[in-house]
Amino acid sequence: MSTVLARLDGVERRFGSVRALQGADLEIRSGEVHGVLGANGAGKSTLLNILGGMLSPDAGRIEIGGAPVRLDTPRDAWAHGVALVHQHFTLVPRLSTLENVALGRGRRPDLRSEVERLMDQTGLRVPLDATVEELGVGDRQRIEILKALLRDPRILVLDEPTAVLTPIEIEGLFTLLGELAAEGRGVVLVAHKLDEVLSVADHVTVLRSGRTVLTGVAAEQDVDGLVRAMVGTETADAMALGLRGSDDSRSGGPGKERARGRVVARLEGVGVRRPDVGSLEGIDLDVRSGEIVGVAGVEGNGQQALALVLSGRAGPERGRVELPEAVGFVPQDRSTEGLVADFDLAENVALALHRDPEYRRGVWLRWAELRAAAEEIRERYGVAAPSVETRAGALSGGNQQRVVVGRELAVGRDLLVAENPTRGLDVAAAAFVHEELRRLAARGVAIVLISTDLDEVLGLSDIVYALTRGRLHTVPAAARSREGVGALMLAGRGSQVA
Amino acid sequence: MRSCSRAEGARLPDGLRIRRYEPVLIAFGSVALTALAGAALLLLGGYDPVAAGAAMLRGSVGSWSTFVSITLVRSVPLVLCGLAVALAFQAGVWNIGAEGQLYAGAIAGVSVGLYGASLPAALLVPAVLLAALVGGGVWAVVPTIMRVRLGVGEVITTILMNFVGIYLAAYMVHGPLQEARGVFPQTDPIAPAARLPGLIPGSRLHVGFALALLIAAGAWVVLRHARFGFQLRAVGASPEAARVSGRIDTRRILVVSFLLSGAIAGLAGGVEVAGLTYALYEDLSPGWGYTAIAVALLAGLDPLGVVVAGILFGALQAGAGAMQRDAGIPAAWVGVVEALVILAVLGLDRVRRSRAKDRR
Repeated sequence: MSTVLARLDGVERRFGSVRALQGADLEIRSGEVHGVLGANGAGKSTLLNILGGMLSPDAGRIEIGGAPVRLDTPRDAWAHGVALVHQHFTLVPRLSTLENVALGRGRRPDLRSEVERLMDQTGLRVPLDATVEELGVGDRQRIEILKALLRDPRILVLDEPTAVLTPIEIEGLFTLLGELAAEGRGVVLVAHKLDEVLSVADHVTVLRSGRTVLTGVAAEQDVDGLVRAMVGTETADAMALGLRGSDDSRSGGPGKERARGRVVARLEGVGVRRPDVGSLEGIDLDVRSGEIVGVAGVEGNGQQALALVLSGRAGPERGRVELPEAVGFVPQDRSTEGLVADFDLAENVALALHRDPEYRRGVWLRWAELRAAAEEIRERYGVAAPSVETRAGALSGGNQQRVVVGRELAVGRDLLVAENPTRGLDVAAAAFVHEELRRLAARGVAIVLISTDLDEVLGLSDIVYALTRGRLHTVPAAARSREGVGALMLAGRGSQVA
Repeated sequence: MRSCSRAEGARLPDGLRIRRYEPVLIAFGSVALTALAGAALLLLGGYDPVAAGAAMLRGSVGSWSTFVSITLVRSVPLVLCGLAVALAFQAGVWNIGAEGQLYAGAIAGVSVGLYGASLPAALLVPAVLLAALVGGGVWAVVPTIMRVRLGVGEVITTILMNFVGIYLAAYMVHGPLQEARGVFPQTDPIAPAARLPGLIPGSRLHVGFALALLIAAGAWVVLRHARFGFQLRAVGASPEAARVSGRIDTRRILVVSFLLSGAIAGLAGGVEVAGLTYALYEDLSPGWGYTAIAVALLAGLDPLGVVVAGILFGALQAGAGAMQRDAGIPAAWVGVVEALVILAVLGLDRVRRSRAKDRR
């Protein structure tokens, strides 16, 4: 029988007037992986940050090992055996892997051998002397996990560790989490994909609007019930429609019968070599109207460079690029590249629209129209903000993503380039974005979907490419499976480690 | 999906509205803090804070004519330089060089005022002001190029350009532009046709004040409603997002706002010479270009706020003179008060920021 390692009871936390948590409970047992689920803005990250000592709760009780504790700083959390792997990386880009691991622990002569031993035990391999800025997101994720494991925590907390990993890496991580739990630790895991969580978790807890609404043994849950708990029964039915819709088209493959459209964007022999966004080599690509072109790949293989060139945000160093007039671009990093945190929603929508003739009169902006456009996006995409005058920085990550996606879908009338458009979105919001992408394609918009989420690429795309080490490889129809594309994607891994 | 988010929306009240009145709270908070700290300092120095305060009020807002002829007159360069700083800061350009740009504008303006004496007033006054704008703008060219082309931080370059500007003015009044008599380090008075007309009869207030108000109003409108102003704010608030939006030439915005900021600070120098002193001399500015940073920050970088903050600092400086005269308190003390205000503003601004971040 497992013992209770930690118990959070009735935890509350406000941010200004936003109530992120209003009575959340969580019980972590030894030897178990505990999955935490919830829609965007349900309070998952807040709860985990409280457990990790990053935030202090306004109310509620935290018990570790049966005794009430205060976790005011990460140091307190470490002292009680809790280590948190953050959703957003907390690494110093200019320092090496080893230096990053050493941060906050002091330089010890045996650190290197200790880290190497840990890498052998866990199979999490990272080049120790490479500076972090040279490493891909997958490596960075591994460093974060290694950092946490070095503290030999009794409770390991991971906030969305799978978003940036390939299917094979995810499998490896889950095997590792299972082993860590088997050693008697408690593992807490947040992930957006229900099937992922169910495949690894022993217990699940569902948060909704900052409250724990369901907790139980994972094996006894089914997807429908969990979704219902996450979004509330009254909306589950409406949503189920959208979810099923996406499942159907996934299996069938979208738009098979559509006639091929004209070429709206063309890359010929495009080459880029930039340390900040990655390299491309000899890229030839035609994108036709009404077509969804999927580009799968492990992060750091040139996705960012491809996205910037295709969206016209950066010129190529070699080769030719033909692009249409109206290009929408959903950048990878919504919080810094997609949005101005200090601008309100209307201003953020204006960022993309302010040059369109219908939104300006000469050099003057037509704020009434811009505000109306923002209002439409807010409603249509269900952005959880009281008005379009809400500061973008005050929104949760998922809601920020909705704003960016909504805005760029509105802008990209000829071509839409989307880089991981559903990263960080809950199932419902992700399904909605997928639906929108299909709808746009049906209306004749050309779409390039660059994603590390294989299911997303395979489920939506008419044509699939794999991007490895800056080169595009066509994925033949026969190889369109997780395994087939996954193998192609992994072929590029070596470039990151060298 | 839509109704689900509506439910979410209901529990997410606005974290933003607070932003609206917070700058006002900060302004009043800083003034109150400053008054308290100032009174304590005066007591420590053995002065009577009540008498000092009374003298200060009398000397700044004691009568209509004091207010207009001393406080408002002193506020003109503060408002103009404050606008220059606020515009630059809004664009994310940390222009600390208003002082040097002011001197450059004053040199250019006085030169035109001296050598263009044959022109009619209708041409000469605009020519003086234009020269001042260009002079200030030119003073910002080197830091702009170094920032945009070489990536050298403008904080350092603009500060260094201040020294060049201040000493260039000193050289001018000792050398090429020195008065014909050759006695004092100052220029001859500029031609009467080059002088700004008065604004209120019987006072020293000149149309430079109206010009400052006009520019403030213009800046406010442009920042809010014009494409350029919007792009400027976007570049300042997040250069990354502005660039990735694909619709803003961030480099162009940076260059234009930097030069514009320099030009407005230069105008302050030209207006001072053409409206008040009619001549250039050493120490024309008691550090207006630096005080303007406090003015801009106190105003929360809002152009209309800059007018209010500029007048407040003008009153502070006017009151300092009276305090020295009537209460026997050294004028240097006002420097202490100014520093206190700046500290209070920065401190409270910091508090607001961390709260806003917390609200995230």
